[in-house]
Amino acid sequence: MPLDTSTYGLAHLRLDGRRWNELRRIHGQISTQAAADGSAYFEQGNTKLLCTVTGPQEPKRGGGSSRDQSNEAKVEVEINVAAFSGMDRKKRTRGDKRVQEMQYTIASAFQSTIFTHLYPHSTITLNLHVLSQDGSLLACALNAATLALIDAGVPMSDYVSACTVASAPSSDQSLDEQDPLLDLNGLEEQELPFLTVGTSGEEGKVLVLIMETRVQVGRLEAMVSVGLDGCRQIRGILDGMVREHGKQVLESRMS
Amino acid sequence: MAPYTGIPLSPAELQYLHTSLSQDPPIRPDGRSPTQFRPLVAETDILPSTNGSARICFPDGTEAMVGVKAEVEKTRGGGQNVKGEVDGKTGEDEEMGDDSNRSARSGRDWGEWVEIGIEIPGMRDDDALPIFLSAMLTEALLADTGLKDTLWINSRFHWRLYIDILLLSQPLSYPLPLLSLTTHLALLSTRLPSLISERDEDPLFNDDWEASTPLYPRSKADGSSAQKPPITLLVMSVGGMIYFDPSADELAVADAVVALSVTSTSTTDADALPLKLVALRTIDPPSRLTAGGVSNVLNTTSTTGTASTGTTSTGGVLAIRENDQGQSVWRPPRGGVKRAVVGRMIKAVVEKGGVGMEVMAGLAGVET
Repeated sequence: MPLDTSTYGLAHLRLDGRRWNELRRIHGQISTQAAADGSAYFEQGNTKLLCTVTGPQEPKRGGGSSRDQSNEAKVEVEINVAAFSGMDRKKRTRGDKRVQEMQYTIASAFQSTIFTHLYPHSTITLNLHVLSQDGSLLACALNAATLALIDAGVPMSDYVSACTVASAPSSDQSLDEQDPLLDLNGLEEQELPFLTVGTSGEEGKVLVLIMETRVQVGRLEAMVSVGLDGCRQIRGILDGMVREHGKQVLESRMS
Repeated sequence: MAPYTGIPLSPAELQYLHTSLSQDPPIRPDGRSPTQFRPLVAETDILPSTNGSARICFPDGTEAMVGVKAEVEKTRGGGQNVKGEVDGKTGEDEEMGDDSNRSARSGRDWGEWVEIGIEIPGMRDDDALPIFLSAMLTEALLADTGLKDTLWINSRFHWRLYIDILLLSQPLSYPLPLLSLTTHLALLSTRLPSLISERDEDPLFNDDWEASTPLYPRSKADGSSAQKPPITLLVMSVGGMIYFDPSADELAVADAVVALSVTSTSTTDADALPLKLVALRTIDPPSRLTAGGVSNVLNTTSTTGTASTGTTSTGGVLAIRENDQGQSVWRPPRGGVKRAVVGRMIKAVVEKGGVGMEVMAGLAGVET
């Protein structure tokens, strides 16, 4: 939503016709790949991701006894952004810093959620393939990874759900009461300061909070609380997908 | 100690598979006929930000996705070549007169107008497998010179095709046929925006996507059969028998494995072959890396008092192994493949109603 056009102020509708607290169309499929231990396909609007989980398994890179001090499983994340995912075709170089940071964020979020003490000296590998990007990449990645881990049967304390929030598009000080925007698409992400919040559990324990742009500190509280509510909504959607899939599996076994 | 090859089959199992595949009529482990393919799941047009896309899943769990994007690029040395070449052809001015555009499509180095990138999880971009696979697929694609005419816009600009292939699962079996079929399907569904501008001015395209033209049109204006993108099939041979779509088990006992790339010929002649071979490459069969079995005569660990009491020298052991020739125990295959066998493989693929046509017809059916 460009800051210079004031169309938002007129009808409070964003460019794609959503209101401030509406999520994009969310669709997910569990167990899409038979060859992987766990897999899921997740899309939020036009951001589409595929996640596969292999593990828990022996660490591939040798793993001498000196390395494995901790009696816990290690979560490794690899994100592969396809060259055709953006508007322009762009082949990512290895060691892209932004991608590395995202990998680390996701790995540490799940390191604390998964019951890693059950699988000492083993590795759980998450492979995320970004097929199409249109905003909220980190949030979608966390959601897709949650579904894939559930499909793999890796025990976790709760769902990890994430979403993005932006501060309202106004430069006028008096309009501080304007609501923050939930779930941004690509255009909105480029124009507005936004943060990604990832929570776990019904009560919304915050696991991930990333903000790369700058915003007035007074607006932060409102953004985070809207984000927590958005994560709760997404958690409900993820739960619905898992239950639906479980029902299908049971029905196919019984007949 | 035998080298670890990733094939968890013992010499006895390998011998069993090899014998069952070299019989006449042959028995494949899953009961298929030699030219029968395993069922696959295919879908197209799944990615909204690409010009064309496809996804294919094989029944062993391997999955690949291909996205095709096209960008307008300035032709190097665009306008100058044209003049130089037309002036040179004095005698053929008459012929060139009415379609003088043809000479402008010299498109030197047009091979750079197509770029294939392969992503295999767990492998770097400079590993051997992705580079070899992308070279084979590019070679097959560039063999069709008609593609150059489709990518040409005017003498100053052309389309540059980026074909990005993602192998979504681990490479459980040799991924070449999967990637090739997925690329074929993606190219079939690729559309380019239609050109509005004339001649050599800066290209301008129609914003309406409904008016876009497919990269490989269904049928040409003159009624001849349309050009199709190439496919690469993996064929293996055991003894004198040839097998299509080999599974991982069958590849473990193959005598020879060959990758055949074919493309359709645009011809209306009913007697001519509908497909032509553009590339043939031999692949190192994984059976070469398996360990041979130990025959009874040489088995010194057995306690039944056989004649193997110490007097066999190294030369003697070798002689026994050679005479055995893999009859009683499994021996990794040696040598190349007979020309007659290769000839039969090619014929089975390119003939009318052959395997190649079957596969192409099957894939064309996916495109709605």
